[in-house]
Amino acid sequence: MNELTIAMPKGRIFEEAYQMFIDAGFDLPSEIDDSRKLIVEAPNERIQFILAKPMDVPVYVEHGVADIGIAGKDVLLEQHRDVHELLDLHISNCYIATAGLPNTQMDDIAPRVATKYPTIATNFYKEKGEQVEIIELNGSIELAPMIGLADRIVDIVSTGQTLKENGLVEYEKIVDISSRLIVNPVSYRVKNERIREFVAQLKNGMNKR
Amino acid sequence: MSKIQMFEKPLGMRDSFPKVFEQKEYIRSTARDFIRNKGYDFIKTPSVEYFETIGKASAIDESSLFKLVDNQGEMLVLRPDMTTPIARIAASKLLKEKNPLRLAYFANVFRAQQQEGGRPAEFEQLGLELIGDFSAYGDSEIVNTAAELVKALGVESFRITIGHAGILTAILENNTNNQEQVNALRQLLVEKNFVGFEEMLEELQLTEEQKGQLTRMVESSIEASPVQNFRVFLTDEQQVLLDHVETLQKLLDVQLSDPLLISFDFTLASHMSYYTGMLFEIHAAGSGFPIGSGGRYDELFKLFDEEVGATGFGIRVDRLLEVLPDKTVKEKHTLILFEEGFYQKSNELAEERRSKSERVTLQYAASVRDLDVFKQNFDEVIMVSEGGSLT
Repeated sequence: MNELTIAMPKGRIFEEAYQMFIDAGFDLPSEIDDSRKLIVEAPNERIQFILAKPMDVPVYVEHGVADIGIAGKDVLLEQHRDVHELLDLHISNCYIATAGLPNTQMDDIAPRVATKYPTIATNFYKEKGEQVEIIELNGSIELAPMIGLADRIVDIVSTGQTLKENGLVEYEKIVDISSRLIVNPVSYRVKNERIREFVAQLKNGMNKR
Repeated sequence: MSKIQMFEKPLGMRDSFPKVFEQKEYIRSTARDFIRNKGYDFIKTPSVEYFETIGKASAIDESSLFKLVDNQGEMLVLRPDMTTPIARIAASKLLKEKNPLRLAYFANVFRAQQQEGGRPAEFEQLGLELIGDFSAYGDSEIVNTAAELVKALGVESFRITIGHAGILTAILENNTNNQEQVNALRQLLVEKNFVGFEEMLEELQLTEEQKGQLTRMVESSIEASPVQNFRVFLTDEQQVLLDHVETLQKLLDVQLSDPLLISFDFTLASHMSYYTGMLFEIHAAGSGFPIGSGGRYDELFKLFDEEVGATGFGIRVDRLLEVLPDKTVKEKHTLILFEEGFYQKSNELAEERRSKSERVTLQYAASVRDLDVFKQNFDEVIMVSEGGSLT
């Protein structure tokens, strides 16, 4: 049986996905003691987990150093990596939307949009035929409209709580997001049977939930 | 854009340093002997072609073409693939002399990159084309040759996945209402986005019957069901497509030393729009990307007003290098350093050694900037000077 390498996003999604694997009957170590570890072995299943930044998971999978990965659809849409999207895990459900201060219009002369997702934002406004300037930020996107950097933001919304607390309202929903199981195209062929079994077992576990 | 530094190369262009060059030469010469033994003739085509002809006929996306303008004002392209130029030559000249025609190439092709600086925009491709044969024997010859060639080059662990563009199109058309839907679904399969495929089925407002058929087709493919299980998705007139695949499978079983190398997957779809019949990809352990691909492309010849069957494949040499162990043999390299007045003597010594096929570099000692560093590049150093010491 071939060893499988799975790239996992660090943090909340890791715990949710890991629990999902255990529920599906995979024999994994129940406690992951040291949270600073980057590689976790599950010798009974011949699985190796690598813990990566969520944005980096598709990179590891595309280059084949990880066979499988768990990545948010937001990251996949943003990066256009050459990976196979095999399964919707239906965890960390949320969506991407535009938001801004209540009752405001886009500036006529210099409409600006702040976002962590420049590609998604660009495509969205391009399809609407609006010319806007996209400003890439790495976090605390909500600040942008509050201090006048941008008229709109494009960001992840899960409960809407963060928007509300910062006095922003949602304008347009762009796309639904959830975590996906992605596979490297070569592993999908070369380790075909192993991956097929893994996916089948996971699917089975998901249906029971 | 920042100022270009003197050492910079255009986006995606790479130098081949001596070691890599030798490895590519090894691949080229091994492949050349192998392919010529199979009866294929090598040819070369121009690096630059007209955009109107090759640029438009090629399946490579227009945004990936390098375009330039010649002094007549015509738009030109750096060739983005070899299949299209070969189709041009075959249709206009060679097919009249020999039909079926077997051609091979080892050439660099150019595809502009937009993402991530490191990806190559110019790379060597090694491939062959069998033109003038509609039969499953032709398909079998191509798949089999690809498998044997990859093995002959020393790739140990690899798999070939075969699909069929005609069958996929038939199944999609049987279960959708218009061409737009077919294209949308096919595009998702090209990206191997099965999640997106399922979502799209909901979005397209198909009947339950249609959705069920398409879902089952994808599931059967993921589970690697035997080929004959796909008959249920085809109409009576379309069964002939599957007959063709079954014949191909039988032929490959006979020809291939290891039938496990091959698997069939009818969701396999290519961004190369001219594939009409069987198509395949070669994946090797060690590279995250397919090392080669191929298929039947009869449609392409219609653009050149020719009605012939054609199949072929191409292998990416840069990706092959990644998965191959270094096969080049380390040869002995000798340095002969000479001082003023010993030119003739050192020349004679060098020629004597070269006649025994030894690699010899002859160098005037006083011209070398740093002798110790220079000497490290050689296996043996001979000093021809007063006293004639060996070091």
